Amino acid sequence: MGDIIANRGKLFFKVNPSLKFLLTSSLFILYLFVHNLNTMIWASVFFLVLYVFACGLSGKWSFGFVLLTLILSLFSASAMILFGKGNTVIFHYSLIMMTQESLARGIMLGLRTFCFSLIGMVFATTTLPVPFFYSLMQQLKVPVRYAYGCLAAFRMLPVMGEELGHIRQAMRVRGMANQHGVKAFSNKMIRYLLMMLAQSIRRAQRTAIAMEAKRFSMTEARTYYYEIGWSVYDLYFLFILLITVTSGFICSSLFPVTPFTNVLDH
Amino acid sequence: MSKGKNTILNLTDILVTIVIALVFGLVFRLMGPVYDLVQPLGLHLDALLYGIWFIAAPFAALLIRKPGVAFLAETAAALAEMLFAGSGGIVNLYYGLLQGAFSEAVFAIWRYKKFSVSVVSLSAFAALIASIILDAGYAYLPMLAGWNLILYLIFRIIGAILLSGLLPYVLVKGLEKTGVTQSLRPVTKEDYDVLDK
Repeated sequence: MGDIIANRGKLFFKVNPSLKFLLTSSLFILYLFVHNLNTMIWASVFFLVLYVFACGLSGKWSFGFVLLTLILSLFSASAMILFGKGNTVIFHYSLIMMTQESLARGIMLGLRTFCFSLIGMVFATTTLPVPFFYSLMQQLKVPVRYAYGCLAAFRMLPVMGEELGHIRQAMRVRGMANQHGVKAFSNKMIRYLLMMLAQSIRRAQRTAIAMEAKRFSMTEARTYYYEIGWSVYDLYFLFILLITVTSGFICSSLFPVTPFTNVLDH
Repeated sequence: MSKGKNTILNLTDILVTIVIALVFGLVFRLMGPVYDLVQPLGLHLDALLYGIWFIAAPFAALLIRKPGVAFLAETAAALAEMLFAGSGGIVNLYYGLLQGAFSEAVFAIWRYKKFSVSVVSLSAFAALIASIILDAGYAYLPMLAGWNLILYLIFRIIGAILLSGLLPYVLVKGLEKTGVTQSLRPVTKEDYDVLDK
């Protein structure tokens, strides 16, 4: 993601990755129990603000992502909007029955997906894999074998990409690219997957043996090349997140935009 | 030879599992937008595709056949999808954790000795149950109109069995021909019997 990420000096890059990970994942639990549409609307507004200031993407990419996510989130809510349960009918055509309740519930779902995508994007673009896994080992005590395994696997990604290109070229040379139809397509897909998987497994095995020889899975008396610690930025992060979440709740009780305070009622 | 040694994951198992999970994490990431785009068609064709998200656990378990592999694979795939900034972000991790745990439980019931199509499909089905449990809370699944919900569930079951029950089985059968699986599986009694002949 080298050139997509614009500014590595942003505050969120300096936050302890484990703390960032734990706090952002706890947001899921928190919003699972929110059934108030107003809260979700205000939360989306505030998370959008957070996203604009904190996201690691450069401007053009960042705007495109918000637009795409908003559209996809509304799509993901379409089933609930069109086919949900409810009493006050707005629109009825054969099987489609849109009610006020289902519309509110659908928007709620769409905004939920939207919020979590934004949060996920902020996390993904401000967290580099190496510090993240080092921090998991040091702060969350994830076993060294798993963390280094993940890091080694991430290093294999470019090779996999290259390999995919090779397979595609080999198929083109042998005329497989010209074959059409469902059977040829599934045959091609299975071949792609098999070749990628077989090569990846072989490579993973060789790497694991080499790592074992270097004592990568040793647990006692371990030293780390990178020491990930705590800093004042972690406090800033905690405050920013707290303000974002609480202002969503406060605004929803002060300025309710819709009458739907519990979308589960009908 | 002690019996326990076969069932402990070594670095090779872990790395192979994680690399597989990464491959599937990429697949999940690329499938995400496709899944979202199919949704507005309304008839829940998206539910047919949902099954692909359960594939990492049964596939890895079929390949390595040791305890913990299924759970690790599904969780790592979800983590990878999250780090690739897939749609839904952090939510994926919870789904991955629960689906992995349910998949793993099915293999554990047969004590990691039976890996037939039916057991693999059952493991995909277990992952499906996990996803429905989470969807009931997160996506308000019970709030869909009755016929729609039933259609949804049927499609999801078909998708899960096809994409995460049969597909991994076919793939692993294909991989067995390439010979890479031989060095991954724990040594069985038959392997030792061959030596005595």
